[in-house]
Amino acid sequence: MLEEFKKYFWIAKAISRLALSTQKEVVVRFLTAKKKYLPDGKTKAHVDDILKCALCPNMCRFDCPVLQAAKSETYAPAGRARIAYLLEMGRVSSQDAVDLMYACAACSACQQWCPFDFSVDDLLIGVRRDLVDRNLAPEMLMGIRDQIVNSHTIYQNSRTSLGLEPREADILYVAGCTVLNKERVIAQTTMKILEKVGIAVTTLPEEWCCGAPLNLLGFENDFKEFAARNADIIEKSGCKKMICSCPECVYTFKDVYAEAGFPVKADVMHTSEYFLELIEQGKIQLKELNKDLVYHDPCVLARKLHIIEQPRRVLEAIPGVSVREPPLTREHTRCCGIGGLLAMTNPELSVTLLRARDSELCELADTVVTACPACKIAFKRTRNSESRDLSEIVFESMNQ
Amino acid sequence: MSSENTTGHTHGSDYEIVYPQTPLSAEQKEQILVNLQKIVGKRNVSHRELDRLSYSRDYWPIALRWMLEGKVPALPEFVVWPETADHISRIMRMANEENLAVTPFGEGSGVLGAAIPVQGGIIVDMKRMNAVLALDDTNLTITVQPGINGMNLERFLNQKGYTLGHIPQSLYCSTLGGWLACRAAGQFSTKYGKIDDILISLEAVFPQGTIIRSKPVPKSSTGPRIDMLLLGAEGTLGIITEATLKIWPYPEKRVLQSYVFSHLEEALESIRIILRRGIFPAVARLYDQVETERHFYRTKKTRGKCVLILILEGDRELVDLEGSVSHAVCTEHGGISVGEGPAAHWLETRFNVKEISEFTPRDVVFDTIEVSVMWDKSMELYQSMISAMKSIDGVIIASAHASHFYPQGVCFYFTFGGTPMTGSPTDFYQTVWDAAMKACLHAGGSISHHHGIGILRSPWVQQELGSSLEVLRTIKKALDPEYVMNPGKMGL
Repeated sequence: MLEEFKKYFWIAKAISRLALSTQKEVVVRFLTAKKKYLPDGKTKAHVDDILKCALCPNMCRFDCPVLQAAKSETYAPAGRARIAYLLEMGRVSSQDAVDLMYACAACSACQQWCPFDFSVDDLLIGVRRDLVDRNLAPEMLMGIRDQIVNSHTIYQNSRTSLGLEPREADILYVAGCTVLNKERVIAQTTMKILEKVGIAVTTLPEEWCCGAPLNLLGFENDFKEFAARNADIIEKSGCKKMICSCPECVYTFKDVYAEAGFPVKADVMHTSEYFLELIEQGKIQLKELNKDLVYHDPCVLARKLHIIEQPRRVLEAIPGVSVREPPLTREHTRCCGIGGLLAMTNPELSVTLLRARDSELCELADTVVTACPACKIAFKRTRNSESRDLSEIVFESMNQ
Repeated sequence: MSSENTTGHTHGSDYEIVYPQTPLSAEQKEQILVNLQKIVGKRNVSHRELDRLSYSRDYWPIALRWMLEGKVPALPEFVVWPETADHISRIMRMANEENLAVTPFGEGSGVLGAAIPVQGGIIVDMKRMNAVLALDDTNLTITVQPGINGMNLERFLNQKGYTLGHIPQSLYCSTLGGWLACRAAGQFSTKYGKIDDILISLEAVFPQGTIIRSKPVPKSSTGPRIDMLLLGAEGTLGIITEATLKIWPYPEKRVLQSYVFSHLEEALESIRIILRRGIFPAVARLYDQVETERHFYRTKKTRGKCVLILILEGDRELVDLEGSVSHAVCTEHGGISVGEGPAAHWLETRFNVKEISEFTPRDVVFDTIEVSVMWDKSMELYQSMISAMKSIDGVIIASAHASHFYPQGVCFYFTFGGTPMTGSPTDFYQTVWDAAMKACLHAGGSISHHHGIGILRSPWVQQELGSSLEVLRTIKKALDPEYVMNPGKMGL
């Protein structure tokens, strides 16, 4: 409060020099004018913040992967905010405008340059919730919603467990939908690493999606149902620590559930954090592995969870491994193209993003290591580089 | 797609168009669309309402206000993304045949309306021409396409061990083409020069489709520089399609200095002497008392004073020497050193552009005006422009800092903010600008140092340029007889 007062003292001082009647009018307008530029009814979108974003000169645009791929003003972050504002005010209503609200990689690259600390994906979630409430959500996305709600995972013909019997354990491992259905090798290596060092670990008999896609797409009520069920089942597992291979799962369980009123009663960790803990305790013994690698920071892991050092320290602990850093690295990492369900909502843009990122990585090493199953799958698709998860490299080193 | 009529309202959407146009017939539209698709390919043309809306504005503050009032500045008929100079040449030939306006677009960060398609027509967005073509260490040059974003260009150079030295506050949100078209200046320009100093040569397309390439040489005396016609022309005389620029090795050392002065005159005199002695700080910024209070309230010693910040950078030994001479000059002229703090604070916060976002929805009309003047008239210009702005009913704040310096003079960057007591915000805005421009011209200043003319400054161009404007109009008519290139701008 004091800081705010100091910050605006120069304005207060200038206003104090005006005639008393003018002072009053200026202050009243300053405090009340905004209301007439906001929607009359209640919205789930924070239109006040969207307006700030729409009135910005786009200071984050150079780092927005979607804009850099589309190379069209329509996809500029403040441009999307402007259309969001016009949608919320009822001044535009086209399907194109609605579809644009989903053209975001949810990578939060924008946030690091934003003077208001906004992330465009956070702003857009509110708009999407309003679109859902007004029955304007695109049909294709309704299909995704139905798939998740009915099958408890985003993947069709899917698996929702590792097929292991639950057992008494201190650690709960939640693989996540992508690992269960597309990258089981990550779960297998993770479980083998833990078994090898004698950690008692259990899994859920039926893993439901963490709900991140529902939350991202604005299906707030469905998301809350998933959050309530998952928070309850995690508590019932009795485990005080829970590890996940997917950064989006960690972020959702740890931060988004708490914000939605369903805090998870366990210490939620990403596998990279836990592996480092075990290495530092001397439980994981790593052997020489002669490999040149380039590490790709997953956006959610680096920017939303601030887990940047841990995966690097795991890799540095492996004798013989040489880790290269791409030009856009750590908190300045660039999206692989999969984030924010972009591969579903805007497949062409997603591929452009992926190719751009992969070409940066391929220049540095033949093998890309990452710590997110979705990123790993993305890099496998380009076939320019070998794509591995951190758990696979750790497991390979332990078994040399 | 909604189709707007001449009254400026659209069917299916609810907004008013400030510069409405008679729409093309469906047949004309279809024919032009097909022709454009033949030139650039289907994926590089759009006539969707969403895209047209997205290119309906730039960062002209009053046009941003219009958004709150349910207005859209202007809608182009088509948006085109060329990939080569030949594409642009063919677009220009077609535009001449069809008598369609062509407005070039970079990233829309201009603050005077220059990129608003006031006569509809075609927006030529340069973003898909953003490649780095060559980096030459021996000649210290980079050749690049103009659609590249400023920060992405600077990031590329930094990774290779260089800098362009052109760091405007719009670095993150503007393109090289925009800088050249508006004769931009960066915050580090006192050392590295303005974009016109940094340019070596260019390739461009003139309004009737002719492509020119100037030769990349450090200097020649082979007649007037035709390529220079494009600099500051804001897209009214052609479109730049490639540029070779000077680059610098990334500075080895950076020294930050901050001083407080009791009077603006003393601080201005210090900078004049520093430059006269042949020292060119990369950054020199001098804030009047109001702006000092606004930006440096955290440093107690700045209260009631004017802050001067200097940033010297380059070769280690030279920078050390420049730092000690600058320090001596400032202290001899009444400056008191307050350490690195204010300079470091400026460095850290220089891209925090929040004012328009914060104040516009509160009905505070806010803008900046940058002008230049010779040293002997600098204080007169400062005082008369501040007085002129303050004299307008409703102005709450009128302040300035000096941000670019030369051995011969200075650029002042004024800020005004206020709430119109009577009349519309647009009228209030125009009235303050009018008062400021008149005061500037009366004091012998130039009405723009580095933002350009656009729509807003057009009414004062005649007074600024005098008979030169007639010459410029003759050139315009010769090069662009159909007036297709960015019409309605610069008083042309």
